[in-house]
Amino acid sequence: MGNWRLFFLAAIVLAAAPLGLPLFAMTLLTEALILGLLAMSLDLMVGYTRMISFGHAAAYGLGAYTCGFLALHTAMPLPFSLLAAALLAGVVAIGVGWVCTMATGISFSMLTLAFAQLLYALAFKWTSVTGASDGLAGIPRRAGPFGMTVLETRNGYYYLVLASMLGGFALCRSLVNSPFGAVLRGIRENEAKTLSLGYNTRLYKISVVTISFALGGLAGALYAPFAGFANTDLLFWLFSGQVLIMVIVGGQGTLVGPILGAAFFMLVEHVLSAYTDAWALFFGLIFIGFVMFALEGIWRILTSRLPARSRA
Amino acid sequence: MAKRFDASRRTIVKSAAAAALVPAMPRPAFSVEPIRIGMPAALTGPVAGVGAQMRRACEFWAKQVNAKGGLLGRPVELIISDTEGNPAIAVRKAQEMVERDGVRILTCIVVSNEALATVPRLAEWDTIFVSGDNGDGRLTGESLVPNFFRPNVSGPMGTRAVSLYLRDSPMKNFYGLGMDYAWGHNSMEVFEAECKRADKKFTGAVFSPMGTKDFSTYITRIRQSGADGVYLVLSGDDNAAFLSQAKQYRLGDKVQLLTELVDQMTINATGDATVGLIGGSRYPYTYDIPANKAFVAAWQAVYHTLPDMFEGDQYQSCIVLQAGIEKAGSTEAAKLRAALEGLEVDSIKGRVIMRACDHQGEQQGFVTKIVKREGMEHPVPEVIATYPANRITPPCNKMVYDD
Amino acid sequence: MDFFPFLVTQCLNALSQAALLFFLGVGLTLIFGIMRIVNFAHGSFYMLGAFIGYSVARGTGSFWAGLVLSPLIAGGFGTAFEIGLLRRLYRRDASAFLMVTFGLTLVLGEVVRLLWGVQGLQLQLPTALAGIVFLFDEPFPVYRLFLIGAGAVVAIAIWQFLERTRLGLLIRATSQNAEMVQALGVDVNLVRSGIFGVGCGLAALGGVLAAPMVTASLGMAANAIVDAFVIVIIGGMGSFPGSLCAALLVAFVQVFGTYYFPDFAIAAMYLLMLLVLVIRPGGLLGKEA
Repeated sequence: MGNWRLFFLAAIVLAAAPLGLPLFAMTLLTEALILGLLAMSLDLMVGYTRMISFGHAAAYGLGAYTCGFLALHTAMPLPFSLLAAALLAGVVAIGVGWVCTMATGISFSMLTLAFAQLLYALAFKWTSVTGASDGLAGIPRRAGPFGMTVLETRNGYYYLVLASMLGGFALCRSLVNSPFGAVLRGIRENEAKTLSLGYNTRLYKISVVTISFALGGLAGALYAPFAGFANTDLLFWLFSGQVLIMVIVGGQGTLVGPILGAAFFMLVEHVLSAYTDAWALFFGLIFIGFVMFALEGIWRILTSRLPARSRA
Repeated sequence: MAKRFDASRRTIVKSAAAAALVPAMPRPAFSVEPIRIGMPAALTGPVAGVGAQMRRACEFWAKQVNAKGGLLGRPVELIISDTEGNPAIAVRKAQEMVERDGVRILTCIVVSNEALATVPRLAEWDTIFVSGDNGDGRLTGESLVPNFFRPNVSGPMGTRAVSLYLRDSPMKNFYGLGMDYAWGHNSMEVFEAECKRADKKFTGAVFSPMGTKDFSTYITRIRQSGADGVYLVLSGDDNAAFLSQAKQYRLGDKVQLLTELVDQMTINATGDATVGLIGGSRYPYTYDIPANKAFVAAWQAVYHTLPDMFEGDQYQSCIVLQAGIEKAGSTEAAKLRAALEGLEVDSIKGRVIMRACDHQGEQQGFVTKIVKREGMEHPVPEVIATYPANRITPPCNKMVYDD
Repeated sequence: MDFFPFLVTQCLNALSQAALLFFLGVGLTLIFGIMRIVNFAHGSFYMLGAFIGYSVARGTGSFWAGLVLSPLIAGGFGTAFEIGLLRRLYRRDASAFLMVTFGLTLVLGEVVRLLWGVQGLQLQLPTALAGIVFLFDEPFPVYRLFLIGAGAVVAIAIWQFLERTRLGLLIRATSQNAEMVQALGVDVNLVRSGIFGVGCGLAALGGVLAAPMVTASLGMAANAIVDAFVIVIIGGMGSFPGSLCAALLVAFVQVFGTYYFPDFAIAAMYLLMLLVLVIRPGGLLGKEA
């Protein structure tokens, strides 16, 4: 229950952010929330089911390209484009999940990588839809249905992103606390045992890939009109690796952690790289330090210190 | 700055606000507001070499200008930030410069797809972007926006220069190897059209994915094509890898290697493998006119090296920008735009005219051949032909030529 | 070119490419076999090898010195990294290794950029290797033949080492069951440090050998790491003969695939990996995953 109180508190603080933050801070915050949604969606796979995906950029890229394409070539209102993108990512994920779950462990990781890279190759080759190496540029923010123009404004868009993120969080949270989530944790701890208890674990795994992709697709779909473009970098394996690091750094299996991890990753990189060319050196050392000091993710650090403080 | 960083680590939620509130690099205290020029440049990643060149050119120019009392009596301040060659980061950094640092002029965006992602936002930001090296033909074609200007040579213009040179050569059959990238495809298209017009035979082209390491199969294909010349549109690591391997296969003994671009950086990285290569150049430091000689001498005095291709090209863009600001008497986007349109400047490459119709700088085209010179550690590009601006610059908003 | 000369040339091209892929993959697979960790930084050691090789060759004036010293230096560095950092992590889960090697990748990339600069660097070949031989009247680089030879020599050496020596036996045993070996009184940590160094050294060797073909550049690391993973996965994690087969398979598919279907060059490797894993989830010669 206390957790939900925290959730509402965070929601209120974030909702009030446009009142207090300068223009560019809002841009950063919006992007951080979008990446947070993506990292959180990956956490369903990585943190709750121990399916380490090296290809989560595929979900993001699929969503971004779909939403971008619809915004550029149709008059579809933005909320529908977002849904369409999430849906497409989810549908594709059924196939991807079906193939990838034939393997487990590191082979599963590499299969997801292979799929993401094939999508990357497709984006490079399918020029008429994806714009090849240039990607899609000048993606507009289409007005919402019934002539709602509020989504075209910066703050309006921020609230759309915030609502999606909070909605996604509520969904994931109920999911992991449901019997479905219990089975996922069962798979994480011991798949053979869960299977022997009569659960069709493969079906559960395909489902979690699908949900994870749909939410990741939604994040990508939110990104395209936010940044105004979509390109092949969003599908590249390097980005998949970065999202995975965001999840780990934030704390896998916590949902909130990966959101913080994404914000941390993006903001630290953004700020460091403005100060020094050698930012990657410090960035790398941070990650090494994180592991060496046995820090199990940002969220666990915060939560483990909270009680200590209240006692003091 | 390390201290600030620690602070932002303590509480992550706050860091969103903190990061944005931290002021940019400490600024020198001038009594007048400086002219801030934003440079979201790729300083790390695969194109870091080009980014480093462009940055150096801008810094060189800014120092020159500030030494003479600045522009419009205001000092020039460069705001530099790394984009890693990634358009997502480039757009974010550019937006930060505009919204937080009050930048109204951008330059030094290295990669074409970074530029293509940025230009649709210029109107919203009320900001002028003066390209320093972006070659994609569409930037002055279908993707042209009013606030974009290109004083540098575009990809099609580079190809055009080489094509004009080939018209008078005895070579008859050509084959193409391009990077599987928008730039590679566009330039190859221009080259193919040029071949047809010149009554030469274009026997086909093949495109290699970015990051190709082994070019042996492509070399086999080039040999089988039976062409006298092969036109290369490769850049960076791919270009260096191809040239090194072509040399190992002695490809140049049978086929003349031609390329849209050849810079000293590539020559240094591949050594003798480039000797004999004929290529377009956006800026050959060996170009023999007084303005360039003065530039090269001043450059060497500061950096003790010769200015490379992207250094010269970016420097010319800075000179054009400077002339525009002086003419406009302002850095406001609307005034600067009006001043830049039709602006004529004598730069280190000769006269540049920023034509109003598509904001492309009309200028001469150079064709160079890589030769060994006595007393130089590396081979150097020697200008073997120059073509006037009216033959090099494409028709307005176009990437292909009529004659 | 007639078909037969074409076939021979292409096969030699593929073999030389396979040699480079093999150097890259075999180190990673040895490391995985012993330590069960995913070493994200493997590509960085490959790059590091090329740059150190360049400096040594330039400093001593001998390509051969670079070829020998660079793997030793990079391998030593790998061992130091294992002892200093990785050793403390064996009780932690895989994500700790993922993150620490990801961090190392960033650090090494930056160190190389700061030490050697952003421009590509040329590693000059000695005259003996820079020449050509004529195959059916077409020039073919001696260097590529040298690569094939080097690949064969290293492959045989590793194989003999694993099969014939006591240390090789120990390594194979450790990859089967580390606790058992430990219980027999062997210092498993020593084996791990050694193998990590050898793996990194092999990557560096690949880097030095690749440098004359691609120039030593900062882009090498990111390019190489995916190749290395693909080789290891196709061959089967931890399987030495598997990585050899995978290197050959990938090289032949790339060389001939690129020739006949240039549009698929960008996807060929991944399609192959997908196909192999769907048929055999553990890789060609790996245990069922």
